[in-house]
Amino acid sequence: MITVHANFHSHFKELASTGEASFQIENPTVEALAQCICDTYGPKMEAMLIDPDTRELNERGTMFVDARGMRVSMSDALNDGDTITFLVGIAGG
Amino acid sequence: MESRLLRVDLTTGKMRSEVIPHSVFERWIGGSGINNWIMWEHFLTHDINCDPRGPDNIFVFGVGPLAGTGAGSGIKGRITFKSPCYNMFGDSAGGGKFPYMLRFTAFEYIAITGKSPKPVYLHICNDEVSLVDASHLWGRDTLETHTMLREELGTYPSHAHTLSISQAGENQVGIASVVSDALRIHARCGGGAVMGSKNLKAIAVQGNGGLKIQMPEEMLAWSDDFRQKIDENEAVYGFKRRGTLGAVEMYQHIGSHFWRNNQGNMFRGGEITSDNWVKKYHKYSEVCSSDCFIACDAKYKIDGTESEASKKYIGETFRRPEYLTTGSAAGALDVRDWSEVAHWGKITNDYGIDNQDLSCAISFLMELKQRDLISDRDVAELFDREQSLRWGNMDDIEFCVESIVFQKNLFGKIFGDGPYLGAIKYSELKGQNFMKYATYGKGGASFTEEMRPFPTWMNNMAVASRGADHLKGIGLIEKFQRKDLSKIYFDGRTEAADLSVPTLKGASTALIENQVALLNSYGVCLFHWMLDPAGYTPQDYYGKAYAAATGIDRTPDELMLDGARICNLEKAFNSRIGMRREHDTVCERWMWEPTDEGMYPGSVAAEMFNPVLDEYYEWRGWDKDSGLQTRKSLEDVGLEDVADVLENEGSLA
Ligand code: SF4
Repeated sequence: MITVHANFHSHFKELASTGEASFQIENPTVEALAQCICDTYGPKMEAMLIDPDTRELNERGTMFVDARGMRVSMSDALNDGDTITFLVGIAGG
Repeated sequence: MESRLLRVDLTTGKMRSEVIPHSVFERWIGGSGINNWIMWEHFLTHDINCDPRGPDNIFVFGVGPLAGTGAGSGIKGRITFKSPCYNMFGDSAGGGKFPYMLRFTAFEYIAITGKSPKPVYLHICNDEVSLVDASHLWGRDTLETHTMLREELGTYPSHAHTLSISQAGENQVGIASVVSDALRIHARCGGGAVMGSKNLKAIAVQGNGGLKIQMPEEMLAWSDDFRQKIDENEAVYGFKRRGTLGAVEMYQHIGSHFWRNNQGNMFRGGEITSDNWVKKYHKYSEVCSSDCFIACDAKYKIDGTESEASKKYIGETFRRPEYLTTGSAAGALDVRDWSEVAHWGKITNDYGIDNQDLSCAISFLMELKQRDLISDRDVAELFDREQSLRWGNMDDIEFCVESIVFQKNLFGKIFGDGPYLGAIKYSELKGQNFMKYATYGKGGASFTEEMRPFPTWMNNMAVASRGADHLKGIGLIEKFQRKDLSKIYFDGRTEAADLSVPTLKGASTALIENQVALLNSYGVCLFHWMLDPAGYTPQDYYGKAYAAATGIDRTPDELMLDGARICNLEKAFNSRIGMRREHDTVCERWMWEPTDEGMYPGSVAAEMFNPVLDEYYEWRGWDKDSGLQTRKSLEDVGLEDVADVLENEGSLA
């Protein structure tokens, strides 16, 4: 069991009603974290987080990065204490 | 598909209507593609090296074939001209209702040349056109002008929709813009100065005609599908709520703002970095365009309780700031109060002036002051009064804006063409080289975003046909690290999404430029594409709506060739006025000064700049040494006639 921290911004923060949360996951992967977040916050969060066609992380209009600013994908491994940040991916205007 | 072009010669007052035949749509798609061709043809018989503020310049307005069709995605109009501030190809998109209302008259394109002997506005009412005395509007800002035109033109056959300029355009300030219905700005490149130089205060349209859609059933089906895709996409819902302000937190997290003239890349101040203020805005019933299924607009009204500073602006109401309005105020100028950021958005819109050029010019000067490179006396010499030039001081900033709009003083005169020419002129005046502090690409003002960690983004700044530009080649594959897209576009390869290597960055620029040229020619709002409800593939998806509207059905590969043709014409325009590889460059700060904060510290453009630029030329088939097009590259996209023109003028590799 490891503890992973999530930072939620913009629409993610609205869906989670918080900017930060920690999750305990058995499987140390992004996939397990994503599942845990969906279970916690419900179908709207799932729609934001998971691509319904591929069941991969939804890459459209979103940005999920690790502490080095690198985008994560489902199969990436996580370590105890890692933080993943959930952002809205839009530019310009 | 056929359309009508209204030609107006303001010198003689003569106007005539011309048919734009199907063959022109086959070759140039519509919208910006057709605008470009109208301008290209004009400059085959007029001196392309003319003064952009002179009567030989042309001002074209055009609207894409999807506008007003109910497709839900074809919104944007475009103005095209030779840029008075950058002295090269110039164009700018804008939303609102004006573009599709023009389609409800007898015209879809307007080409204006010459110079009126006195101020006029152009009135188009269905198929009737007239030039009307505008002396009562001269000296008014865009909100006043729009309001007065609405009142005087009445409501039949429709409310009037307007494009207008403010005092900045009248004074031919190089960075003056054109504003649609007093709400949506065609900001870039100085179209307002071109209108002002022609004594053209406004264009007002009223129409109640219909549109012919070639395949209406297919259009309805496409539109239904598009709406469904949008409704199913939770990220689009988030975008409806926040608009482009949703980018503030992402940019803050990765370090992508443009703080204090890009000395840093994070906003400072708790309130400005939160999204508390989003909650203060409510949905605007009157969105950017009623033909948009997304509707990201909202409005604010300041009640004076938000902060101490807000008391100055009680009752002020306008559109909620976009990201770049925020980036220029909270970033470039370090304004930390939301009511002041919003006020900055309002005044730059009402004065019809580009807030990117403005903020880069003002922050350039603020940095010189911060570094004691100029004295209080130097500042007083520029402004004819004492001026603190303190970061974030809204009174000072507002005086800088008025100085430029009304050409009040030396500062206004020197910086009216933006930060690049302003920095050159000011360096000459003071006998010192201040160029290290000017932020620009290819002579165009920076977009107020951090560029250095993003090689595709940086390449866009260097090669864009209208100077520094994040729109024409949008480096989203890289900035959002979209490996999925990199794989789709580049045969399974992922490097386009990898920030650490130069590979496929130039290729990405070329490919996305082609796509965006297509979208701009359809008139599709780039946010629809960026949010990706349709899978980021305009040649597959939006092309079907285009086919339904026009009857021109193309394979995806043919459409990409169409996009490449449009980009090549813009490039050829600049080659004719003498632009070469050495012009495809960026400012010293980006090239050599490393970032020292954000997720990607130590980034500097020079690391990858040349390999990326070389790759861009390779993908375009252009000559790497001169940056010029080759005959083959033009023939490959069906531009033999353009190659002939360039060859005759010594502008072909
Ligand atoms: S998405 Fe926003 S900017 Fe684009 S057309 Fe719709 S309302 Fe206008």
